[in-house]
Amino acid sequence: MGGGTGRELPRADMLIAIMGAPHTGDLVTSAFRLAQALLERGASVHLWTCGHATGLTRTSLGDEKPRNVVDWARAYPTTAALAAELLAAHPAKLHWFACRFCSQERGADAHIPGIRLRAPFKFTEHLEAADKSFFLGVC
Amino acid sequence: MADTGRRLLIIERAYRGGVETQFADVLYFARELNRQQGGLDILLRGLAVTFAAADPAPTPVLHLAGRELDTLPDPRAAVRTLLAEGAGIWAQDGELERFGAGPGWLLEGVRPTSDAAFPDWPGYRSVHFL
Repeated sequence: MGGGTGRELPRADMLIAIMGAPHTGDLVTSAFRLAQALLERGASVHLWTCGHATGLTRTSLGDEKPRNVVDWARAYPTTAALAAELLAAHPAKLHWFACRFCSQERGADAHIPGIRLRAPFKFTEHLEAADKSFFLGVC
Repeated sequence: MADTGRRLLIIERAYRGGVETQFADVLYFARELNRQQGGLDILLRGLAVTFAAADPAPTPVLHLAGRELDTLPDPRAAVRTLLAEGAGIWAQDGELERFGAGPGWLLEGVRPTSDAAFPDWPGYRSVHFL
């Protein structure tokens, strides 16, 4: 690993960096789909969230979204619950990182277990640790 | 200008989130507002005119970590529900043309209209861009 700075990081076939905000388009759904498709094929994946995307895995989301007033009994998983399921299904192949600065800036630094906070100036190590990087949106 | 006493919602931006949004999309809010207001009108512009397609489209399902997530937003179904619940829905004809929407493309009950013909701005109690 170049420069010895990325010693803590496992290698990954692909880094998916979710830079754009949730609730603005299909990019978060695309990130989940892409990660699932890669993991199904045996690839190793790093996910990195920046900006408002750090809120996807905040602990305070809980497992279920607030109730749907027109379908009260139905449960809808939060993105935190979906992330936890994805991490549990692929403990060796998937690693999920969240930008510490963006998380703290938004009061979202209490993440579910399995999410590692990383300083933004460490991002270059993440780029070096992955064979390919894929950016979704901009902060 | 006739005062309709109704409120008008204008929706231009479409597809704002999938897994994170699910049922709680812009039309979910519109549905509840329609119920509370006893009727309102909606003008679909931009990419949002595709909400009014007659083809119901397959139910979107996401396969994720052994789960089948089938609660993703379904705006075409939501438009049907809104019509059934008495909302008036218009779709901008210029945008429909851009999507090559020919005869039968638009959901029955949704009215195509031009910027010149609709809306009657002063006739509305209020207008909201969502």
